[in-house]
Amino acid sequence: KLNIDVDTIQHGVEGLSYLLTESSKLMISEIDFQESVQVLGFSDELNQLLLQLYLDNRKEIRSILSELAPKLPSYHSLEWRLDVQLASRSLRQQIKPAVTLKLHLNQNEDQTAQVLQTDPSTLLHLIQQLEQALGEMKTNHCRRIVRNMK
Amino acid sequence: MELSPYAQGGWRLLADPCRFARRPYSALLRAAFRSLLDHSHDGLDDPDLKDIDPTVLKHCHAAAAMCILEAGKHKADISAISTCLEDCKLDKERIEQFCTEYQHRELLTVVSFSIGRSPLHVTDVSWRLEYQIKNNQLHKTYQPSYLVTLNIENSDSGSHPDVSFSCTMEQLQDLVGKLKDAAKSLERATQM
Repeated sequence: KLNIDVDTIQHGVEGLSYLLTESSKLMISEIDFQESVQVLGFSDELNQLLLQLYLDNRKEIRSILSELAPKLPSYHSLEWRLDVQLASRSLRQQIKPAVTLKLHLNQNEDQTAQVLQTDPSTLLHLIQQLEQALGEMKTNHCRRIVRNMK
Repeated sequence: MELSPYAQGGWRLLADPCRFARRPYSALLRAAFRSLLDHSHDGLDDPDLKDIDPTVLKHCHAAAAMCILEAGKHKADISAISTCLEDCKLDKERIEQFCTEYQHRELLTVVSFSIGRSPLHVTDVSWRLEYQIKNNQLHKTYQPSYLVTLNIENSDSGSHPDVSFSCTMEQLQDLVGKLKDAAKSLERATQM
């Protein structure tokens, strides 16, 4: 319909996607983008169009690119259950409380679930340790770094 | 509390003063307790036992061990154990000897017998906070990320690869919130 041969269209598409991907990856400013595009020698109208295209799609392109980064399994959710063990083959008449956890993780689009168990004192220890971890982001040290990085 | 016919047979041998004089009897009891509770293997090498036929020794050692296990399993009291051993023709003195030895170690008995299968057990947690700046696919990412590792123990084999995962601050808050819910309901349950 465009009356152009396949190769030209393919190069055009590749060029355009490269432009948009690289710009989004580097998160370049509007000015930098405009300067880079001007080198190509297009009309002002076209340059404006390209800029708009970049700004409109930047966020989505970045979120797709972030999926490509090396990753560990990531947290999805946690289910828990309270159990009391009353007896076992080797010991009768017990009262042993336990917390059973089902940890749902995501790894590259697969979801895994792992069943784990812990005792009450370890549970409290886990909570204390992880609350400390959360608190770290609020310390002056971390705040300073975050401020200076941006 | 009941003993299997095999165990009863072993105890009847232990009751016989011709087969087991006082010293060998005491030595065998010690060996049985040690092999179950102290994880040592030198029990049956006791010099007091060297004159006893090895087959008889094994049978009696097994019988004594089974009695200890059954008593621990059912939290049997002294009268239950005594009745059981009386049926095997053990005299009062020997029964008392066993019961004293058992009582002396009863707390250990109960603790070490809570063995058995259970799901993977979480023993500890480590965490790492990092601030991501860039990766080769995406620059200027600028976000904090946590790496959490749960240390796992397997009741069967003792060790197990740890479970590690990454999460954002919101996800970690979700995780901690859920753990706190579990702890709260545990507290409520203990107050009932």
